[in-house]
Amino acid sequence: MKLKVYRYHPATGQSRYDNFEFEATPGMTVLAALFYIQDNLDDSLALRYSCRGAVCGSCAMLINKVPRLACRTQVALLRNPENDYSEVKLKPYPAIEGGEPFDSSEEVLVEPLPHLPVIKDLVVDMGKFFEYYRRIEPVLKPSDEPPATERAMKPDDVRELEHYTNCILCASCFGACPVDASNSSYLGPAALAKLYRFHIDPRELKDNSRLQLADYPDGWWGCEFHTNCKLVCPRGVPPNIAIGKARVKLKKGK
Amino acid sequence: MNDFQMHIHDAVIIGGGLTGLRAAVELINHGKDVALISKVHPLRSHSVAAQGGINASLGNHPEGGDDSAELHAFDTVKGSDYLADQDAVEVMAKEAPKAVIELEHMGTVFSRFENGKIAQRPFGGAGFPRTCFAADRTGHNLLHTLYEQSVAAGLTVYEEFFVTSLVTDNSKCVGCVALDIRTGELHGFSAKATLLATGGYGRIYARSTNAIINTGDGAALALRAGVPLEDMEFVQFHPTTLFGTNILMTEGARGEGGYLFNNEHRRFMEDYASKAMELAPRDIVARAIQTEVEAGRGFANEYVHLDLTHLGEEKINERLPGIRLIAMDFAGVDPIEKPIPVQPGQHYSMGGIASSADGSTPMPGLYAAGECACVSVHGANRLGGNSLLETVVFGKLSGRAIADRLEDIPDPDVKRVNQMLRIEDERIRKLLSRKKGERIADIRSELKNLMFANFGVFRDAGSMKEGLDMLTDLEARFRNIYVDSGDSVFNQALIYALELGFLADIAPVIAKGALAREESRGAHSRRDFPARDDERFLVHTMAYLRDGKLELEYAPVTLGKFEVKERRY
Repeated sequence: MKLKVYRYHPATGQSRYDNFEFEATPGMTVLAALFYIQDNLDDSLALRYSCRGAVCGSCAMLINKVPRLACRTQVALLRNPENDYSEVKLKPYPAIEGGEPFDSSEEVLVEPLPHLPVIKDLVVDMGKFFEYYRRIEPVLKPSDEPPATERAMKPDDVRELEHYTNCILCASCFGACPVDASNSSYLGPAALAKLYRFHIDPRELKDNSRLQLADYPDGWWGCEFHTNCKLVCPRGVPPNIAIGKARVKLKKGK
Repeated sequence: MNDFQMHIHDAVIIGGGLTGLRAAVELINHGKDVALISKVHPLRSHSVAAQGGINASLGNHPEGGDDSAELHAFDTVKGSDYLADQDAVEVMAKEAPKAVIELEHMGTVFSRFENGKIAQRPFGGAGFPRTCFAADRTGHNLLHTLYEQSVAAGLTVYEEFFVTSLVTDNSKCVGCVALDIRTGELHGFSAKATLLATGGYGRIYARSTNAIINTGDGAALALRAGVPLEDMEFVQFHPTTLFGTNILMTEGARGEGGYLFNNEHRRFMEDYASKAMELAPRDIVARAIQTEVEAGRGFANEYVHLDLTHLGEEKINERLPGIRLIAMDFAGVDPIEKPIPVQPGQHYSMGGIASSADGSTPMPGLYAAGECACVSVHGANRLGGNSLLETVVFGKLSGRAIADRLEDIPDPDVKRVNQMLRIEDERIRKLLSRKKGERIADIRSELKNLMFANFGVFRDAGSMKEGLDMLTDLEARFRNIYVDSGDSVFNQALIYALELGFLADIAPVIAKGALAREESRGAHSRRDFPARDDERFLVHTMAYLRDGKLELEYAPVTLGKFEVKERRY
């Protein structure tokens, strides 16, 4: 297999692409391939990793011009043009248009997640992403004093909430959003989906106070519904739906 | 000589998983100055991967009305093969309902019964359906909740800081030294109290469910500082890990009704635990699977089948959606249609830093809680659903104990931290200056393979002695490892080298403890000593590192109201 990997070092400020070629083991993931490079070919390669099981959200990166978790992406499936896995149709934005040429039938192109500054190689500075997360005040604000036992919740409410609590904050959506590409002040899909999660939590006040936290142009109103966020989410979270519903509620309230 | 940055806090917590975050929130709630150091962003901690649930005798299940903290404690003690300290288990079982309710109040979205109460499912070794859950993503939901609490509380986090050493002064812990992974600079931390909450060491084994970051950092730091490690030979092998990657397939899959089949399509658990069947405790099910595979009744001589197909699409999607996704992504198997290939793999460390229910260790100023600690509530075998519980209960109790004591501790002298900074700086420079020698990846993979082969599910003196010889050889080679990259920014090869050093220190503790324990108890199963021997071994192993030499001592088990009996399921 051939891997073409983006390299960047802050000391020089220079970037380049390195080509690596080696035998892929059956079922090898992009993460495993990057570990193989670190272990055998170039130990200076930097990337984030932890669980290797698609739950911790560390290893989101741009793989063949699609933001994905490296641990969840199998090299062999990427190279199979008949697999719909390699055919995520995203609305175009600068990071996935043009750039380094590559042949998806022969090689895998691995680049850092777009829209966040690169620290080194595939490691990006998540500072802004988590700043937007903090901006939506991500903590349950119950509407009443805690009872002695749990607050009752309907299973249906839980099901609706799970669509959003499943988010692992990997920032794939942030790196896939054409609005984030052009407007660095836009809160982005993950923060807005998180905000919506608290809004619909039946334990909070049933008014629009939560939604008002992002009732401005770079909040709910920044979205252009390209829905790249939903397409790339490794947990099936639909920020676009949350944003749409939030807007309807805010309009009604005005 | 570099000038090092020095940070002074009343309390420092090492590790940003559930235990560390819970302790931090407790300290902030008590108005204390606390900072948390983590080698990854807290949300990337291994707590996030816990699936099945958290035990508490809420009695919400229709069949759980008679459940109680006492019965929870009994199941835990029996599950531990009577090696757990009964006073600590009582504390955990009693705190459990409060801990779960508190998490719910903090915002965790638990799965619910129709009446709106927190749902509970049956788990291995439990007399009642006692395991509260958020589908099969309980750890994820709890970790996000506690992270949210820590953000709201304004917790200071030193993110992507790798602790290389504790600092002691007159046998007291006065802080630590950490490498800022992003810059490569060493920082000193001076603290009146230091809490280790670093999780397990699963990556010492070739087959492990653990995250790649689980390299036993805290246990090794404590051992090096002179603190004993307790019961390290007790290593939990989870029965059902996905063949190939060994990603966890939750016990909840069997709790929801999943079956285990061998290649004769027989539910073989009836030969090993005819009453509890698939819901026998983990040590028993893991041995059963291993035995079936070794007897040629597995598939490809590697695995058995975990069959969920009879549960139906709706139940699988509602209760086990994460399992389905993992099986499809990592094994190409949709559990709605086909059985999942599973095999035992290392999952959890019952042993750890000797500590009490308030987190205190034999060293003043040093605390430990969560998987890196040994309180001991799990004894020789942990029950599923008790580790998430342990993190929040003992995280909170440690945080509170530290908060209560901080005022009485004088400000430590930063001189000792400065000294250690220079020692660590020198050590790292030396390591980075070596450009030839042994490859980290080689030593690491040999270590993992030998630990699984010689100190795995089944053990005997012959293979363990052979394993110890191999460890001695590896230790010598480890001293000659080299790091090619001389980079200061995100030098992960350096991190791998330091982590391998932690693993290399822990391996002999597991190995020697296992060889010395001439009995079978819980997860420690010896073919040459198949029976439990309460006469000689109803004791905790205490491993000390003294002048570079590992020494084993034994300490009594705290017994209580539950009589030591034969364990049957």
